[in-house]
Amino acid sequence: MAVTATDIEQLATAERPQGYWQAVGRRFLRDKVAVAAACVAGGMILMAIFAPSIAPQDPLQGTMIKRLSPIGTEGYPLGADELGRDMLSRLIYGARLSLFMGVTPVLIAFVIGSTIGIAAGYAGGWLNSVTMRVLDVFYAFPSVLLAIAISGALGAGILNGLLSLTVVFIPPIARVAESVTTAVRKLEYVEAARASGASALTIVRVHVLGNVLGPIFVYATSLISVSMILAAGLSFLGLGVSPPNAEWGLMLNTLRNAIYVQPWLAALPGVMIFLTSISFNMLSDGLRSAMDVKA
Amino acid sequence: MSAAILSAHNLVKHFKAGGWGANRKVVRAVDDVSFEIAPGETLGVVGESGCGKSTTARLLVQLLAPDSGSVRFRGRVAGTEMPLKEFRRHVQMVFQDSYASLNPRMTMLDAIAFGPTVHGTGAEAAQLKARDLLDRVGLDPARFGPRYPHELSGGQRQRVNIARALAFDPEVLVLDEAVSALDKSVEAQVLNLLLDLKRERGLTYVFISHDLNVVRHISDRVMVMYLGEVAEVGPTASLYADPRHPYTRALLAAMPSLDPDRRTREAPLAGDPPNPIDPPPGCRFHTRCAQAFAPCSQRRPGDLAVGPHHIAACHLNDRAEAAA
Repeated sequence: MAVTATDIEQLATAERPQGYWQAVGRRFLRDKVAVAAACVAGGMILMAIFAPSIAPQDPLQGTMIKRLSPIGTEGYPLGADELGRDMLSRLIYGARLSLFMGVTPVLIAFVIGSTIGIAAGYAGGWLNSVTMRVLDVFYAFPSVLLAIAISGALGAGILNGLLSLTVVFIPPIARVAESVTTAVRKLEYVEAARASGASALTIVRVHVLGNVLGPIFVYATSLISVSMILAAGLSFLGLGVSPPNAEWGLMLNTLRNAIYVQPWLAALPGVMIFLTSISFNMLSDGLRSAMDVKA
Repeated sequence: MSAAILSAHNLVKHFKAGGWGANRKVVRAVDDVSFEIAPGETLGVVGESGCGKSTTARLLVQLLAPDSGSVRFRGRVAGTEMPLKEFRRHVQMVFQDSYASLNPRMTMLDAIAFGPTVHGTGAEAAQLKARDLLDRVGLDPARFGPRYPHELSGGQRQRVNIARALAFDPEVLVLDEAVSALDKSVEAQVLNLLLDLKRERGLTYVFISHDLNVVRHISDRVMVMYLGEVAEVGPTASLYADPRHPYTRALLAAMPSLDPDRRTREAPLAGDPPNPIDPPPGCRFHTRCAQAFAPCSQRRPGDLAVGPHHIAACHLNDRAEAAA
């Protein structure tokens, strides 16, 4: 049999087929910064889950005599706060509420925002314009201000804090979802799917979702750090979480008077917020570059 | 030709290009285009970039809704007399960009099987059909079935796209620059595959291309488009031998020739086509036409029969007018 050009073409690409997510995973593992960030973020999550078994002391039980003990005090490795509570335990327990306040609003906003954005982007036309202009109204306010305004109007409390943060994050996620979907909708494989006679819902489910959720998810991951900082800000202002609960933002607030006495101690919750938010940011950067490469 | 399998009737498609109210600007992408395709024939469509070829293709497969006019399949108006879903089973399209026209997250088998499942074929039967079709277009199903688009070459991907379109068992295939992006050797293979498939399945092709040599090779009839209008339609042999529209003549003169004695030195067509937002009055080609005379800038030429099944929209073919 004569060797045709097709045979040669087929031989050239004869290695084992590889799934898309396998390739993404491989590229992600090669990115050392991203892996380190994933370890830190994962560590924070584990710390939050197993707080009761890790924490050496009760985070709510203080000893007056130990008030504002410096870092390295016997029995208080990271010192004690203004009410003599063990800082280490409070920081460990604080991961629970802080992460919860960081992840939950983003997760809810991811679901709602993606739905709105994908629907608007796929529908296109005036429906898209109207939806996006309405969301732009929320965009007009700085996110901190909007969160404070909503949370302030609803009153203090974890649930109201969550709600306000969710509202803040829906517009940016919807915006990203809309732009990604608009780009995908114009691709010829979506046109081919339309030419197949499939319903809009089927096309979105089979052909659009898989190609837009990745980028939207990456963007949402980068919002987790923003959400944590905003949640900390709300707690700092007395909205959101209330004392005596351990939450990093709230701790930062209550320790601010101690900044002249024990500056390092007072900075510790800030360090935690910084570490967590930067690790989530780098994690999302790593995810984005791992998912970016096509060939 | 009432026995046409697919026909376009006065198709018009304008795209908004900005402006509101009285200042509203529209691109006249396709302006009053009508043609018919007989069962089993290949109609080649040629023209410069931006002449409305691709818009015509998308109107023909109902991916775009025309502003006015209609597309009929075997005499039934698509979308009204004939449900779109049924129409789509009979008329399929292959796109130019072989990579963009495949979902990057879908294996080749799934991509081909998607169409039949939309039309009610069971998942398993659709997969079997996809395997058969992959085999038919010259790709080993065991090896290429589970692959993703980025793992294939351009020629292989275009074979998959053809298989995907054939999975509907269509009667008409609209090929929009389907081989233009391929290397010459691969292009020839895919063209031969298309010719084989046509013979086997009795397909009807609408073959859109800017490559006059390829169009001549594959088409029974050729339609020349200029600025959203049909300039000339005719059987391939008579159109290439005796072009009756100055634009067709210019296009043919611009074809590279292998015969050194027949090589042209000057570009026969100067400049770019006029802006389709504000096309010239009368014959749209008159601004670039060497033979333009009085009526050309005033009246739009009608479709004048210049031979058997050969029509050219040019005042020069109207003896009374040319003599005056």
